[in-house]
Order: sequence, then C-alpha cells, then structure tokens
Amino acid sequence: MADLKSQAPTQTLDVLGRVCPFPLVLTKKTIEKAEPGTLLKVLCDAPASAEDTIPKYCEKNNYPYELIKIEDKGYWEIYIKKS
Amino acid sequence: MATTNLGFIVQRPPYKSENPKLALTHAIASQSVEVYLEDGDIVTCDIAFVGDGVLNCLKDQKAADIYGLTSTETQVKMALLLDINVLICKEDLDRFGLSEDDIVIDAEEFGADIETKVVPYAEIAAMMEESKHLLFF
Repeated sequence: MADLKSQAPTQTLDVLGRVCPFPLVLTKKTIEKAEPGTLLKVLCDAPASAEDTIPKYCEKNNYPYELIKIEDKGYWEIYIKKS
Repeated sequence: MATTNLGFIVQRPPYKSENPKLALTHAIASQSVEVYLEDGDIVTCDIAFVGDGVLNCLKDQKAADIYGLTSTETQVKMALLLDINVLICKEDLDRFGLSEDDIVIDAEEFGADIETKVVPYAEIAAMMEESKHLLFF
C-alpha cells in the first residue's frame, strides 16, 4: 500500500451511517467523476464496505489505497488515489 | 468481458408485502457486485414500476409515521442516487389519475444526478426485451 495518509486529500467523502452497498457505490461514483491524481479520503463505518468491497474495488481498478481503522471512533479512513 | 443487464419489474403496491422493497434492495445491491466478478464483467440494471407498482413512487409517503418503516419513496430516491435507471409507466399513472407532480422525480436533496422517467409502457417493454434477466416483484 502507498503512503497516502500523510498527503492532504483533494476531496473527502463522508459515508458514515450508510450501510452496504452505499459506501462502495458512492465511492465508485465519486472516483469516476474525479480528475486523475485526486486523493479521495472516505470516512466509512460499515465494516463490509471498509474492509472488503472498497479495497476490492481499488485493487480491481489499480487504484493505490490505504485503509486506517480509527479504533476509538469506530470507523475507517480510506485514502484512494485515482491514477 | 461481459455485461449483464438486469431488469426489475415492480407490479405490486407498497407496504403490506415485502416485494417492492426487495426489488429496490436487490437493484441497489446489484450496483456493487462488480467487485466480485471477473475483470471487465459489469452489471447494469433498470427498475420499472408498472400497474399498481407505480404507487411505490408517490411523494410524501408517511410510512415512518404509520408503519415505522423506511418509505419506498426514500428507496426510489436512493436508487436515483446510485444512478439506477428508474422507469414509471405513464399509462398506469393515468389510470390512477396521477401526474408527474404526484410522484418522485428527482432526489436532489440526496445529491442524485439523475431523475425518474415517466415513459409509455412500450419503452418498458423494450427495456424488458433488452434485459438478460428479468426479475418480477
């Protein structure tokens, strides 16, 4: 995984409170609209989306990503670079 | 690489049965299955409301107050948010004396980019012809 967390995100997508499959589909939609080079930060508290479908989507599309679980807040920050 | 077109046809009215909500839930879920498919395989879906099913698209539903449930109105808006093609049969709206003013057209408040389409049944029939799989609810 790339070191993306240390970079300033271009855009933030807040999908806290949304259940699967909304986090994935909204992430997909945001990435498709974004310019190449965009660093998207996704805030997500749906475990299946954060740990499974969003990473799978990034891998299939060769988008570097970094997944960080914020233990005390119970959500994940996912940094995705649109190549 | 293959594209699978799914056509969801909703014929039943909202509430007192799970069918319309299942259709919407499955249509929405179909937008995420690509991550599990072979590279390049994609799924597209259309959802059409016909017959009594057009009542699912009514505005100002009070499902939360009356039944304690999320309304089908909200789910239609969620489908729009996810760019699902939502078709509503014009002849059946006319049969109920309803117009476009009575039904969900957009979901701007959720950030959706597209709108529902009120179309003659012939267009829904054409969509059904083009779909690889049809699912009736």
